[in-house]
Amino acid sequence: MKEYFQNIWYGLTTVLIGMRVTFKHLFVPAVTIQYPDVKLKLPERERNRLYVNMDDCIGCDQCARACPVDCIAIETVKSIPGEDLGKTSNGKKKALWVTKFDIDIAKCCFCQLCVFPCPTECIYMTDVFEFSEFERDKLVYNFVTLTQSEIEDKKANYAKLEAEKAAQKAANATSVKPAEKEENKQ
Amino acid sequence: MIIYDFLYKFVFNITQSAAIGDITAMIISGALPLLILVLPFTLVAVWLERKVSAHMQDRLGPMRTGSHGWLQTVADLIKLLQKEDIVASDNDRPLFNLAPILVFAGSYLVFAALPFSSAYIGSNIDLGIIFIIAASGFVVAGILMAGWSSNNKYSLLGAMRSAAQIISYEIPTILVILTIIMITGTTNLRTLSEMQTGHFWNWMIFGGAGLSLSKFLFIPFMLIGFVILYISTLAEVNRTPFDIPEAESELVSGYHTEYSGMKFAMFFLAEYANMFAVSAIVSAIFFGGYQSPIGYLGNTLGLPWMIPIEQFLWFASKGVFFVLVQMWLRWTLPRLRVDQLMALCWKYLIPIAFVNLIIVGLITVL
Amino acid sequence: MSIYDIIFYLFATITLVSAFFVVTIRNIVYSAFFLLFTFFGVAGIYVILGADFVAMVQLIVYVGGILILILFGVMLTNKITNVQIKSGTSQVIPAAIGVGLFAGILTAALINTPWRKIDTSPLLPTTQGLGLMLISEYGVVFELLGILLLIALIGAASLARK
Ligand code: SF4
Ligand code: SF4
Repeated sequence: MKEYFQNIWYGLTTVLIGMRVTFKHLFVPAVTIQYPDVKLKLPERERNRLYVNMDDCIGCDQCARACPVDCIAIETVKSIPGEDLGKTSNGKKKALWVTKFDIDIAKCCFCQLCVFPCPTECIYMTDVFEFSEFERDKLVYNFVTLTQSEIEDKKANYAKLEAEKAAQKAANATSVKPAEKEENKQ
Repeated sequence: MIIYDFLYKFVFNITQSAAIGDITAMIISGALPLLILVLPFTLVAVWLERKVSAHMQDRLGPMRTGSHGWLQTVADLIKLLQKEDIVASDNDRPLFNLAPILVFAGSYLVFAALPFSSAYIGSNIDLGIIFIIAASGFVVAGILMAGWSSNNKYSLLGAMRSAAQIISYEIPTILVILTIIMITGTTNLRTLSEMQTGHFWNWMIFGGAGLSLSKFLFIPFMLIGFVILYISTLAEVNRTPFDIPEAESELVSGYHTEYSGMKFAMFFLAEYANMFAVSAIVSAIFFGGYQSPIGYLGNTLGLPWMIPIEQFLWFASKGVFFVLVQMWLRWTLPRLRVDQLMALCWKYLIPIAFVNLIIVGLITVL
Repeated sequence: MSIYDIIFYLFATITLVSAFFVVTIRNIVYSAFFLLFTFFGVAGIYVILGADFVAMVQLIVYVGGILILILFGVMLTNKITNVQIKSGTSQVIPAAIGVGLFAGILTAALINTPWRKIDTSPLLPTTQGLGLMLISEYGVVFELLGILLLIALIGAASLARK
């Protein structure tokens, strides 16, 4: 019998205590933020969307080789001797035209392994993390700065160079003896 | 009733038919205002529920649709209207379609007997409270119908739990109401409200009008009665902590798991209408119904037409206050287990309500 | 025809049609739900007869209590939908005689009862009169009924315990 009334008493008081707690929290300022309008400060070494500064990229393919999921695709074309590709910001001479630099960010696992091997520090993480798309194709980012015609141009130039070289070689091969003789004579 | 007379005369003059006059006057003066009241109340209550729950958990709740998200429920309503009405192939189609209507009709029926102010009551029947209890039977039948026709084990379980719960908790409700009937000698909610006129110390929770010894003796027992009535009505509308019929974590959402679109909205509407209805009943029985606790502005200003409007506002705010307490409880207490639920009803509420009834009866004889 | 006549015919139709389906329909659950409408219609007719308290009690006891109990029983029974309800016509002649007799008695009662016509408007509340009658005139019967129900309750509880 005593227990019965004790139960009632406990029931009522504990409910009231609980209600007091929730009532207090009614006036505690919210701990959440209005996300798209207000954003939390990101930590210093956050890993989000990758960015490639193409001005500095020398097309060495190191990042693509480091990537564990193979989501970086790089194609390069050698420059022809007369061309000046400029220098990177840390003084390296560029020698390759990068004709394709695609990162499939949908595959990327944000492991940051591509960032460290880069000799020019031109591939790095940004603080952009809202880049959802309705189509997966749109998550393949193209970083190449050259236009399509320029790429064609470069390829054609290089092919021409190759062809010239090959022609030269062929010419050399057919007249290798006379040429050598001439050289020998001189 | 003034509105009724006016409408009746107006329609009668046009059609010269007593029947048509009666029907139109009844519908326009009796039924329509309730519908106009129930729908916006639901919209506001759903929004309130979200905001209250959010603030109790130190969140903000909806903020983006309208200022502080007040349009959120409107947006949700539009979304529900557009949704596809899914009926699974193994559902019992006729019953499946009928159930939400029955549930909504049952909860809407309750509103007919609520005294909103001295000038407006849907139907001033003599058996107001008993009518309300009777009407809730339709809700139980509708819930069982929904659970059965969904052909889904969760729905059926939820429906059975819900029906069992409502029926068990109807007993303490009726016992408490019986004590009140015994004191006041009326089942008419309007008369009951009129008896608690004047200031707040005339309310039933303070022992009713008059200044006799029994008034002071009543006070503790009225308090007990109020607590029992509030708990059992809370259980009757399936609110937390008594929400095992629609326990999201175990039964998905109980008897309306299979419903979508507008039919789901009707269940939702019925639930919130019920919340207000039971709060209004509690306030009408114990807290003076539409009576103001501090006197009317209309009286002091000498504007008698203002009084009914004030009364309506008092009634609505008392109802909304108890709805808010329901929400407060919902975000405070965890869900009861089935055995705890039944133990609370049969071992605690019913015996205490019985003892309360007997003691109050003795005091009345004094 | 006043509005009360219209409402009366409405309720009478609901009662008769749903009662017909309660008996004829093959699905037990449907039958139980049609019973709901029958009870509702009967309650409506009580209201029109001016028996407001009886109507409300009809709703509370039958819709809120007995119907729910029936539904529970039906739903908790296994494989309800597969049960073949047998309703063939076997004993035609005895049945016809029984029905004829019953109908005859009913008709006789119908004709011989001195029906009281009451003025429909305004209907007065009946609760107080009923209550006084239950306590004074029919006090003993009322108490006996109470004891009967109590015995049934105790019996049910003791059966359930076994
Ligand atoms: S972060 Fe990792 S997965 Fe993403 S591109 Fe770099 S190496 Fe590949
Ligand atoms: S490692 Fe750096 S420089 Fe080399 S290809 Fe990748 S981005 Fe370009």
